[in-house]
Amino acid sequence: MATFAPSTHCPSSSPYSNDSSVINRFHQRVALSSIRPKQCRPRKLSLQQSSRPKAVQLQDGASTKKASSAKSDGVVNILKDGILSVPPVTPPEESIDVAKFDYDKENSTVSITVVGASGDLAKKKIFPALFALYYEGCLPKHFTIFGYARSKMSDAELRTMVSKTLTCRIDKRENCGEKMDQFLERCFYHSGQYDSQENFLELDKKLKEHEDGRVANRLYYLSIPPNIFIDAVKCASKSASAANGWTRVIVEKPFGRDSESSAALTRSLKQYVDEDQIFRIDHYLGKELVENLSVLRFSNLIFEPLWSRQYIRNVQFIFAEDFGTEGRGGYFDNYGIIRDIMQNHLLQILALFAMETPVSLDAEDIRNEKVKVLRSMRPLQLDDVVIGQYKSHTRGGVKYPAYTDDKTVPNDSLTPTFAAAALFIDNARWDGVPFLMKAGKALHDRRAEIRVQFRHVPGNLYNKNIGTDVDLATNELVIRVQPDEAIYLKINNKVPGLGMRLDRSNLNLLYAARYAKEIPDAYERLLLDAIEGERRLFIRSDELDAAWSLFTPVLTELEKKKIVPEYYPYGSRGPVGSHYLAARYKVRWGDVGSEQ
Amino acid sequence: MATQISPCSSSSTTFSPSSLNQEPFSSAKLVNFSRKSSPSRWVFKIHSRINPKNQFELKSSNGYPLNAVSLQDGAAEKPLAKEIVLPEQTESNLSVTVVGASGDLAKKKIFPALFALFYEDCLPRNFVIFGYARTKMTDEELRETISRTLTCRIDKRENCGDKMEEFLQRCFYHSGQYNSEENFAELDSKLKHKEDGKLSNRLFYLSIPPNIFVDSVRCASGKASSKTGWTRVIVEKPFGRDSESSAELTRSLKKYLAEDQIFRIDHYLGKELVENLSVLRFSNLVFEPLWSRNYIRNVQFIFSEDFGTEGRGGYFDNYGIIRDIMQNHLLQILALFAMETPVSLDAEDIRNEKVKVLKSMRRLKLEDVVIGQYKGGKSYLGYTEDPTVPNDSLTPTFAAAALFIDNARWDGVPFLMKAGKALNTRRAEIRVQFRHVPGNLYKKNFGMDMDKATNELVLRVQPDEAIYLKINNKVPGLGMRLDRSDLNLLYSMRYPKEIPDAYERLLLDAIEGERRLFIRSDELDAAWSIFTPLLKELETKKIAPELYPYGSRGPVGAHYLAAKYNVRWGDVTGEE
Repeated sequence: MATFAPSTHCPSSSPYSNDSSVINRFHQRVALSSIRPKQCRPRKLSLQQSSRPKAVQLQDGASTKKASSAKSDGVVNILKDGILSVPPVTPPEESIDVAKFDYDKENSTVSITVVGASGDLAKKKIFPALFALYYEGCLPKHFTIFGYARSKMSDAELRTMVSKTLTCRIDKRENCGEKMDQFLERCFYHSGQYDSQENFLELDKKLKEHEDGRVANRLYYLSIPPNIFIDAVKCASKSASAANGWTRVIVEKPFGRDSESSAALTRSLKQYVDEDQIFRIDHYLGKELVENLSVLRFSNLIFEPLWSRQYIRNVQFIFAEDFGTEGRGGYFDNYGIIRDIMQNHLLQILALFAMETPVSLDAEDIRNEKVKVLRSMRPLQLDDVVIGQYKSHTRGGVKYPAYTDDKTVPNDSLTPTFAAAALFIDNARWDGVPFLMKAGKALHDRRAEIRVQFRHVPGNLYNKNIGTDVDLATNELVIRVQPDEAIYLKINNKVPGLGMRLDRSNLNLLYAARYAKEIPDAYERLLLDAIEGERRLFIRSDELDAAWSLFTPVLTELEKKKIVPEYYPYGSRGPVGSHYLAARYKVRWGDVGSEQ
Repeated sequence: MATQISPCSSSSTTFSPSSLNQEPFSSAKLVNFSRKSSPSRWVFKIHSRINPKNQFELKSSNGYPLNAVSLQDGAAEKPLAKEIVLPEQTESNLSVTVVGASGDLAKKKIFPALFALFYEDCLPRNFVIFGYARTKMTDEELRETISRTLTCRIDKRENCGDKMEEFLQRCFYHSGQYNSEENFAELDSKLKHKEDGKLSNRLFYLSIPPNIFVDSVRCASGKASSKTGWTRVIVEKPFGRDSESSAELTRSLKKYLAEDQIFRIDHYLGKELVENLSVLRFSNLVFEPLWSRNYIRNVQFIFSEDFGTEGRGGYFDNYGIIRDIMQNHLLQILALFAMETPVSLDAEDIRNEKVKVLKSMRRLKLEDVVIGQYKGGKSYLGYTEDPTVPNDSLTPTFAAAALFIDNARWDGVPFLMKAGKALNTRRAEIRVQFRHVPGNLYKKNFGMDMDKATNELVLRVQPDEAIYLKINNKVPGLGMRLDRSDLNLLYSMRYPKEIPDAYERLLLDAIEGERRLFIRSDELDAAWSIFTPLLKELETKKIAPELYPYGSRGPVGAHYLAAKYNVRWGDVTGEE
């Protein structure tokens, strides 16, 4: 059964009015086919941790049809419950009914423990994402959220802290206050050391109370510094694993500093958890337009024929932030922009962009293809990299600090806050096509985008109209991940009028104009995936290894040779060196032209 | 070569003598053609209209070499410097004679287009406009009639009144019979008077019924041809009713005119998006690889009007929608769409490719056509209720047809056409439906009919010019729901400037001798031979059209025709 078989409906779903009417009329059909409104993802049913017989048959068209003979309202619930609960016995198909599933629903629970609950990420992203999922009706009926950290805090204090950052999705403000209260009622706090099995044992006891004898599924979100990763995993795994459901662990970057440390980390993790319990999060993979990348490629006829060295001249992955470390450089200084952005976020997007068509949309199939891309890539060479570091700059009477002015950063730090790199994939599809990456802090704008520059038209009849540089007038596909999600294709077009003047126009799709709904945060999607066991957007160990082996040599060389970064003013477009790097491969950055 | 900025065309060399007259020639002077620098953005170094080899204008129809023209050729500039002196001595004059000046087309389209060209500074310095018709009228009366329909382009209203006055001062009238050589001889002497010894270029625009075409061409050619410059004749449709009558008409025309003097106008070819079709195909890498049977499932050419004949059915009833729209407008667009890459953008190269397409097409068969006729309702008159239409008329006011091009690129791809009057909307568009994605990973998300979720490229010619490409996209949100979104370019958003009327472009082309958008005799023959057998069969078998209500979407038969070739019309779904 394919990954996207419908299995979940959030009760509050369907803001798409036209579809919802379809739903109402053809409820059962909808459950079977594709047109269905839902915000929660459909997914595959393999709850790998569970030793129970699985409700997989539900997914199956055949049995769903049977189910759909129940009254239509029930179908939704049945399907939804199917994944959340694992019925002890696969019921005879005739007896699938709402009551049965209500029983199953009663019988399972998910508890999410945020380890490092007092941290910034937890407050800004994780709790709000959990609330959004709850608000959208995407969390199972029985769930508990635990904050775990060293600070002493009561449940009420945690709730006050969490409530400050909760917001309701803009497009559905109804009952927001009520929902918030209900959500907070499910939040609890446990104070403990990250390396204390005893403290985790206490947590386990509390969890058990809340689980109340139901099938226990447990998700740990490790939002803690890397040096205590392993200890926390060890304690959680040994003392607070689910006894009869699944236990999963979400880990955040950094996943090591290089091939060796990353491999060591993986080895240590695997002492306590299995590969399929580890969910390495790369929140860029949860971004809407990154998810859409595969849809664009594989569900449209018109792009795939163009997706190769025959038509694509170069591809650019661009990430820019318009602020510096702003007093929080301590962590960053130890890693630098290449590890912080390129080796993970940009490289992951590159792999998705360049991979061959996977056998299916199953997580393993997709990750297999991504690994193939990574393993076909040349390790990055020093002369294919430009590094930069921002320096202080005064503009409009305001003095912006240099990177090394940050109190948490050593004065003589050579850590790059900007990097540009040229990468190559030595396979049949991409041989010779430069994949350029650029990432930087304290630049003039904030953006993340993918730019695909096509070759020039061979034997162009309109060469006269294009001027001397034919490459200036080529087609370009831009996928803007943030801000203002958009997709546009630059085409040459005749300027209306009596003459024959060409210029570039955009065929464009601006998400804000087309989709009125707010786009969910990447963390919502990823948390939901982890709860549902969908691994497509998480990084497998071999992917991680392959990614590190591309960057480790150059990172080691940069550090050993103490290569000095090119300084660029705070708020500028970054070091000019990146242009020379691009020029060497006959590329022109698409984001700094007069027209973008 | 310097950027030539001109709202008109760089092939303006035709009237360069006048500008050269003012200042000595130098290559830098070319820039001078741009009187006003165009207000629009300049993205590339752009030469305005491409017409790299205009030299063949030199083949003046009358055999008199035109001297100025070699300017076009950059290389030739210096060696020819001497000859270029010549035009300075002989200034040239353009006269445009609108034969049938009192007619509707003349008032609504031709004079306003001429004025717009004048307003945009696209006409040569010396020009006169003559109205010619049977009605007795003074110059003043003609000016009065014309002035009512002149408008200024929305985006440039300055001095509009002044300009209009100036323009009207150049308009004159001559009353005469269309078949009287004498009357044309009188016209000739008036023209000579206005030309005042200058090199004379004469353009005749025949805006008259087909039965007097040949007579007036004979008279104009015999008595009012230019002796020193070129003489060109613009002819409007209908170009005959079938292969035979069209061939007959061409033969008659050619008794008096050479092929390169005849400018058969098809005003659809002057529409902005039709012009842009070749630009899209040939100046973008992303489209051409897709432009074949490998990727394109079918192509649809759709024309609809939301009104009927409204008391003017006399002409129409003799022709019907197939002759009136399909055989010319839609077929011309089809040929442009489907042609191979031409050697260059020269008129002859493009027309050669178009003829090849037409010659590769199967003759249209009766079973591949659906015809319809609108019937009346409470508030609308049916076609046969039009007083100018016979009560028992079987003339189709709607037709749908499936055509095929039997060449390597298009074998098996249905090209569907649909044209009708008194339908629910007014539109003209080209729809390209692509095949479905083979082995689509997202099949589950599409439901049963894979072909419903394919990509589609739409070029909307009118109204509201636009280009959009339908793509499948993920609906933002936590699920994996796909739907179709448009990558779109709406002209009114992107180009604030008003788009010139097709007649402006075509008149300017005729003045400049640019034949790209006019129909050559062999093109016309090929076009007729596709439709003639069918038209004959419809008439001999007296096939009754399917009646459809005024203001409806047309006969349902069109859907069955499409279904026969696994096509679904793109314009009548929920989402368009």
